[in-house]
Amino acid sequence: MMRSISKHLALMSVMAFSLSLAACGPKENANQGSRAGENKESNGKVELVVWEDIQKSAGIKDAIAQFEKENNVTVKIIEKPYAKQIEDLRLDGPAGTGPDVLTMPSDQIGTAVTEGLIKELNVEEDIQSIYTEAAMQSQKVNNKVYGLPKAVETTMLYYNKDLISEEELPKTLEEWYEYSKKVTDGKKFGFLALFDQIYYAQSVMSAYGGYIFGKDENGNYNPNDIGLNNAGAVEGAKMIQKFYKERLFPSGMIGEQGINVLESLFTEGKAAAIISGPWNIEPFTKAGINFGVTKLPALQNGKNMSAFIGVKSYNVSAYSKHPDLAEKLVIFLANEENSKKRYEVTKEVPAVKALADDPVVKNSEAARAVAEQSQFSEMIPNIPEMNEVWKPADSALQTIATGKADPKAALDQAVKTIKGQIKAKHSGK
Amino acid sequence: MRSSVRSKKFLRLFVSYAILTFVAVAIIYPLLWTIGASLNPGNSLISTTLIPKKPTLDHYRELFAGKESLLYERWYWNSMKISFFTMLGSVISVSFTAYAFSRFRFKGRKNALTLFLLLQMVPQFSALIALFVLAQMLGMLNSHWLLILLYIGGQIPMNTYLMKGYMDSIPRDLDESAKIDGASNTRIFFQILLPLSKPMIAVVAMNGFTGPLGDFVLSSAILRTPDAYTLPIGLYNLVNEVMGASYTTFAAGALLISIPVAIVFLMLQRNFVSGLTLGGIKG
Amino acid sequence: MSHRKMALCLSIIPGLGQWYNRQWAKGVLFLVFAASFLTAFADLFNMGFWGIVTLGTEVQRDNSIFLLAEGIIAVIVALFGLAFYCFNLWDAYKSGERRDRGDRLNTLKEEYHQLVEQGYPYVVSSPAFFLLVFSVIFPVLFSFALAFTNYDLYHTPPAKLVDWVGFDTFLKIFTVDIWRSTFFDVLSWTVIWTLVASTLQVAAGILLAVIVNQKDLRLKKLYRTIFVLPWAVPGFVTILVFAGLFNDSFGAINHTILAALGIDPIPWMTDEHWTRVALILMQGWLGFPYVFVVTTGVLQSIPEELYEAATIDGASMFAKFRYITLPMVLLAMAPIIITQFTFNFNNFNIIYLFNGGGPAVPGSTAGGTDILVSWIYKLTMQSSQYALAAALTILLSLFVMGIALWQFRRTNSFKEGV
Repeated sequence: MMRSISKHLALMSVMAFSLSLAACGPKENANQGSRAGENKESNGKVELVVWEDIQKSAGIKDAIAQFEKENNVTVKIIEKPYAKQIEDLRLDGPAGTGPDVLTMPSDQIGTAVTEGLIKELNVEEDIQSIYTEAAMQSQKVNNKVYGLPKAVETTMLYYNKDLISEEELPKTLEEWYEYSKKVTDGKKFGFLALFDQIYYAQSVMSAYGGYIFGKDENGNYNPNDIGLNNAGAVEGAKMIQKFYKERLFPSGMIGEQGINVLESLFTEGKAAAIISGPWNIEPFTKAGINFGVTKLPALQNGKNMSAFIGVKSYNVSAYSKHPDLAEKLVIFLANEENSKKRYEVTKEVPAVKALADDPVVKNSEAARAVAEQSQFSEMIPNIPEMNEVWKPADSALQTIATGKADPKAALDQAVKTIKGQIKAKHSGK
Repeated sequence: MRSSVRSKKFLRLFVSYAILTFVAVAIIYPLLWTIGASLNPGNSLISTTLIPKKPTLDHYRELFAGKESLLYERWYWNSMKISFFTMLGSVISVSFTAYAFSRFRFKGRKNALTLFLLLQMVPQFSALIALFVLAQMLGMLNSHWLLILLYIGGQIPMNTYLMKGYMDSIPRDLDESAKIDGASNTRIFFQILLPLSKPMIAVVAMNGFTGPLGDFVLSSAILRTPDAYTLPIGLYNLVNEVMGASYTTFAAGALLISIPVAIVFLMLQRNFVSGLTLGGIKG
Repeated sequence: MSHRKMALCLSIIPGLGQWYNRQWAKGVLFLVFAASFLTAFADLFNMGFWGIVTLGTEVQRDNSIFLLAEGIIAVIVALFGLAFYCFNLWDAYKSGERRDRGDRLNTLKEEYHQLVEQGYPYVVSSPAFFLLVFSVIFPVLFSFALAFTNYDLYHTPPAKLVDWVGFDTFLKIFTVDIWRSTFFDVLSWTVIWTLVASTLQVAAGILLAVIVNQKDLRLKKLYRTIFVLPWAVPGFVTILVFAGLFNDSFGAINHTILAALGIDPIPWMTDEHWTRVALILMQGWLGFPYVFVVTTGVLQSIPEELYEAATIDGASMFAKFRYITLPMVLLAMAPIIITQFTFNFNNFNIIYLFNGGGPAVPGSTAGGTDILVSWIYKLTMQSSQYALAAALTILLSLFVMGIALWQFRRTNSFKEGV
């Protein structure tokens, strides 16, 4: 009896419920409007939101004020670490709390485009032409433009003038090796670099002929052609291993904390020279170190150590409700005049060709070092498959650094892992 | 005979003190070291020494300098608010629920207990997006109250489990005799069970207070703008920034969080130890 | 037609059955509640049910993941509604039955009292239950659903829609070499980590509590205060500090302590075995105070007579510990001990903050000390493998739940009256 009643109950309630749910689905696009977030208009003015890099908003303040006046809009600036903005955009974008304009490193652009997070920009040839070829190239996916370059950076050599003078600087990595051997005593070090990370190690490996992705005849990256374990790369890795094996690089500099160790050893005058990026100019200056910067050393085979060129860019969010205005803002912020102003405040080297000869930039040692090093450098591949390279390559280099693996074996393993991951994660294209 | 008893006692106490001293040193050393680090000039934890050569209060000053990317004071109060209300809510909801599970036999009880146990084991990382969507649907992005509710909810399975276990050890004759005297359920709860459960309430309260101070994953999904951040998010960003990470400022900021936690702890401490003298354990 | 059937049928529209039973106020209450429920959530049901079935139909306009989450919320809310609806039917039926028997019906006030009396456990635990549903069960359901979609980098809104793909993702875990081998590596370390770290912190906590609790020991208060300090400092702070202390070349442990003892530096951060040791020691440091505090509480409650009797029988110190203290403590603390294990199983912070799951091991996509949660975190945050991460979450949760259930049933610690 009881059982049959509960059966009836269930049946009836299901029927009643499905009745009330007869018509499902979004009624019209109007429905979407309310969901996609409230229009951010206060007192009739359009409001744009800009996500700027941490501690860099001072560099665009004046430009923003001008833009606000000229276009009768209000612009809100929020600071977020530039490499993580894409993560926040994934959530904030669809929720309607995202930015109109944001900034990101060029190697994330491929991923952002694949996910549809950023909008294609409609910029004329003459605007594109004010930037260096390489920087502009980094903003393109399938020949469509997705951003404008804001700043470029490469790694360079920092040296402590109290420990080594400019004239004494060894010219090649091999000479640095000899120099380090002379001065290293477990507390003090000669030359240091985070060669357990592909970002830095590629400088050596690429100069010997290693590469990450080969390119096809159209200049597009070919994710199936990986040159991280070719003869050149292995030779470079052997060179790297020497530094660790002879304890010229402390083992405490391997892994997560490496960057902290490296920077503090330099700050405390315990390392004569290190490889790092322009982001350390300000902290090192503030710490009162008497340092100089220059391009990376050469190698015995006559080639100069290469570096990855990182391009930071301004991009327009695909979720922007005022894409035309946002695009205008991007073009405005990245123009020559504002790039120069930004450089004066933030010291980030702009990618505008004309500025390379500008005295403000030319007279700066750091900007010169970046410019010089750029000649020997390569772009970080901006295809999404690059995501699969970092971890396995770093792991391989780490095991090479700790001496747990032979360079050839480690790199072979890394390439196998990278290929496997590309196949597993990127075959669904 | 007598001397052997004595030497045995001496040996026992000697070993005891030795162990205790060793552990005490192992605990205090890293803490002192953190204090040292916070007073050390420069940015790095690596090179700091226990006793800094040139002690400086710069890092503490930096915390309160009001920089746009380091709203320490703001985050501090945000965190205090969230921790306090999480503690309060957690104690209330957990003790009521545990009372129900410990003293009543009702339909679904056993299944619910099993559920509580199992829910503790499911990691929730892949669902951060889900909680984000929930917050957005409720229009509660950046809302501390939503975060508090989520924290309370998240602590329910584990804490209810603990509290229920504890209440089970309080003899039932106590509340049954009260019931015969005509006391209502709620009255029995407040006048008999709650006072006797003080040690476990203190534990739950402590968990409630410290839990939010250890989380930067869930909170960063819900709190999207710097002025809504909690200390863990803010401090984690401070060390996680590859460029210009400041471990020493982090150490200073971290030490200041420990102060309220220590205060709450001292207030609760009496309860941890005393309390259970009435009942004893059911064998 | 009997009253009960009539009331039941009328109750298809909530409230009508109650009116039929002449419970006017209650009927109005039910009707108003049902009506406002439907109007309030009409939009949610509309979008939610459509969304969870289709996961969106138009690129750009529809965000599959948001729709999925909304859909799950809609299902949960609908279940609550359904529960109310069933209650409404049941109530009408029961009242009708009383009328059939000629019994008097309860007034609203009586019903209220009845609810408070008989439904007491439900009433007091319902707020907690609500919170639990939205903060824990909802996310779990969401992950569960995600595992059956193809949500990854190439199927990411707004560029693409996500689709239901059934068991494909699970199949991938076992057919693609990279996932399979990593899966078993991570699984075995996760199990070892959970068992060893938890046992260490529980054992240390109990042991120290017993030592401090000795009657003739002085400075009890001081020791108790010192021993809870690790609890008072937020864990993520301590872990980051320890990461500095354990550094191979510059950390104080190798540099100062081991050097003073004449021991060679240990590769704490670069050899995965040593990293594991460091992690376990650290978790012991972080976790024991909690057990210590609770054990101290339990020790107070062990009746003194037991020890006196044992002393008279000539039991040794260790015998007393072995046969009186330990069983008592373990019995009272069974739930706490269990929570220590479950906590460590999901102890993301320590693994991720200490060494990022590293050091690297050749040929594995996870780090040498990655446990399940940290690996899943990396998969979602660093390589956008959302569906895969969700599927892994389910598999490993099932595995651990299975063990846990089997173990607890076996040891009886799960029985009533723990």
